[in-house]
Amino acid sequence: MEPKPQHAITVAVSSRALFDLVEERRIYEEQGVERYVTYQQDNENVTLKPGPAFNFVKALEHVNARLRELYPDEEELFDIVLMTNNHAQVGVRLINSINHYGLTIERFCMTGGKSPVGYLKAYLTNLYLSADSEKVQEAIEAGIASATMFSANKDVPFCDNQLRVAFDGDAVLFSDESEKIVKEQGLDRFFEHEQLNENKPLAQGPLKGFLEDLGKLQKKFYAKNERLDCPIRTYLVTARSAASSGARVLKTLRSWGLEIDEALFLAGAPKGPVLVKIRPHIFFDDQMFHIEGAQQLGTIAAHVPYDWATGFMKKPKAKNMNATCG
Amino acid sequence: MEPAGQGQGQGQAQGQGQGCSAPEGQQDAGRPRPREGAQTSHQTPSPRKKPKSPKPENAITIAVSSRALFRMEEEQKIYSEKGVEAYVKYQLDHESEPFLPGAAFAFVKALEAVNTQLRELYPESEELFDIVLMTNNHAQVGVRLINSINHYDLFIERFCMTGGNSPICYLKAYHTDLYLSSDCEKVSEAIEEGIAAATIFNPSKDVMVPENQLRVAFDGDAVLFSDESEQIVKAHGLDMFFEHEKTYENKPLAQGPLKGFLEALGKLQKKFYSKGLRLECPIRTYLVTARSAASSGARALKTLRSWGLETDEALFLAGAPKGPLLEKIRPHIFFDDQMFHVEGAQEMGTVAAHVPYGIAQKQRRMAEKKRAKDIE
Repeated sequence: MEPKPQHAITVAVSSRALFDLVEERRIYEEQGVERYVTYQQDNENVTLKPGPAFNFVKALEHVNARLRELYPDEEELFDIVLMTNNHAQVGVRLINSINHYGLTIERFCMTGGKSPVGYLKAYLTNLYLSADSEKVQEAIEAGIASATMFSANKDVPFCDNQLRVAFDGDAVLFSDESEKIVKEQGLDRFFEHEQLNENKPLAQGPLKGFLEDLGKLQKKFYAKNERLDCPIRTYLVTARSAASSGARVLKTLRSWGLEIDEALFLAGAPKGPVLVKIRPHIFFDDQMFHIEGAQQLGTIAAHVPYDWATGFMKKPKAKNMNATCG
Repeated sequence: MEPAGQGQGQGQAQGQGQGCSAPEGQQDAGRPRPREGAQTSHQTPSPRKKPKSPKPENAITIAVSSRALFRMEEEQKIYSEKGVEAYVKYQLDHESEPFLPGAAFAFVKALEAVNTQLRELYPESEELFDIVLMTNNHAQVGVRLINSINHYDLFIERFCMTGGNSPICYLKAYHTDLYLSSDCEKVSEAIEEGIAAATIFNPSKDVMVPENQLRVAFDGDAVLFSDESEQIVKAHGLDMFFEHEKTYENKPLAQGPLKGFLEALGKLQKKFYSKGLRLECPIRTYLVTARSAASSGARALKTLRSWGLETDEALFLAGAPKGPLLEKIRPHIFFDDQMFHVEGAQEMGTVAAHVPYGIAQKQRRMAEKKRAKDIE
């Protein structure tokens, strides 16, 4: 039984985030929509290969299974919705593929070319993942946590009994107010500012709500004494320097009543190597530099295009988009 | 976010209102005063310049645990007796109280003093010590750790707070050259992964160590060198060992877990030598071995030579206790693979670190098992 949307934590994924549709995308772009749809129908029984969000979705379902064991009537579960502007007839191939992998995705929005943002709101979407950065930007503007999915450049094995989600700090969990100071006034002024304002919480960023949702579910496991075996683990992976600017971050999380399981302050060191050790199912960052660093070493990264203050939406570089997600 | 290049030396005047620096060795009898509040009523005209952290692949990365860097016995007791919630609450309640310095503190301070001098001589170089806090402590305890670090004016900007999980995998991600912890299990794991590591112990009494020269003392066998020779002593006795060492005098010993760290220190030493600072080099290394010089010393020295490494001083003790000599050397840290020597050093006020490597560990484990069985 599907949870009701108002209780569930709704994660909407596009078809290109869930499955590898690179080849099909190429046909669409080179030969047009008719040929594309025909191709999909002809290959309806050929299962699609997993895309960048696939393992994340599998991990969400594993958490659901654990929750149902502990709370059989539970409705506070993850609910995965396929949110795609794909042509309706392509739905058959998608359904076949979903069933092939034993995924539980019963809610579809196939918008036949229209933007899905209106439906995201109707579903009370908590997180939207797409390969299309424009849709992601629209969603962020509408106040929905959202990120552009990128594949990893190589395969790295995932943990299959624990959902692991890694977050950057500034402009992802927190607002970008601090990043602005670095850009405008330099690092030393930034350190000074952060220490002076240590006790003033940062404003929240676009993914704060999703961390909150994860925390809510974690507490359900703790309540049943499963803290050590909790199937959700969260990580903060920030370029901030601990002694010079770390306290404000930790105090902000504390003021929100949110916890993070592991906190890594890198002081500018590359994020790729530590992410390889964490092996998260998804890593959210607002800077393409870090997304690419993660990708190169095999981490699935999702770009949060956020820059509220200047009103400019940060676009990921075009070359990555087509190459990895089609 | 990416820090802009701000590689200034630390010769600038200290900023205002950013916490009192109590140089170690001048503590009050009780706990240090809490750090002054972070707010000031006006902004300073130009912010205090902080050096930039070096890239991990260029730096010599030293990872320390929170209990190695600071004294946390009281807090540890609360954790063991009352559980993690009470522990975290205690830490939060005492957030503004800096911890007292732990066993690795003086060592870390000395590393930073070397960095200061290196930056003066080579302003653009990233071949520096980089200290990372590697702890499985809860993330919120980070605030008290940050406050303490700032109170003592330490430069530790890289943290891995692993919330209960083992930090070992992150050691590799940081290209760690040396890992110090008070938890012998983590240290053993690290050694098995090929990372130089040692379990650090608090000395039984306070001994002043030099502030302007980093002094590191190493045991030989099973620390700088492999334990192949120790195996012979245990299996065949001392005379066979002497004979063996003389026969193989010209065959270098295999390397031990701390050889790489000695090498890293040597690289930095050469940077001082090339600026004419050999006599005042702020790094000094010591070999303190139970070997007998005439009977088995040549092989040790020739092995070092074959590696292109030097130690500034070499002490062959022929079985005499190491404690008294270490007391004279006053190193910031002394590495040995045998608890017997670590304890002897501790008793006389030397910060000693146990390297759990080689045949001595198997014997120790067997002895512990036997003791446990006898108790049953």
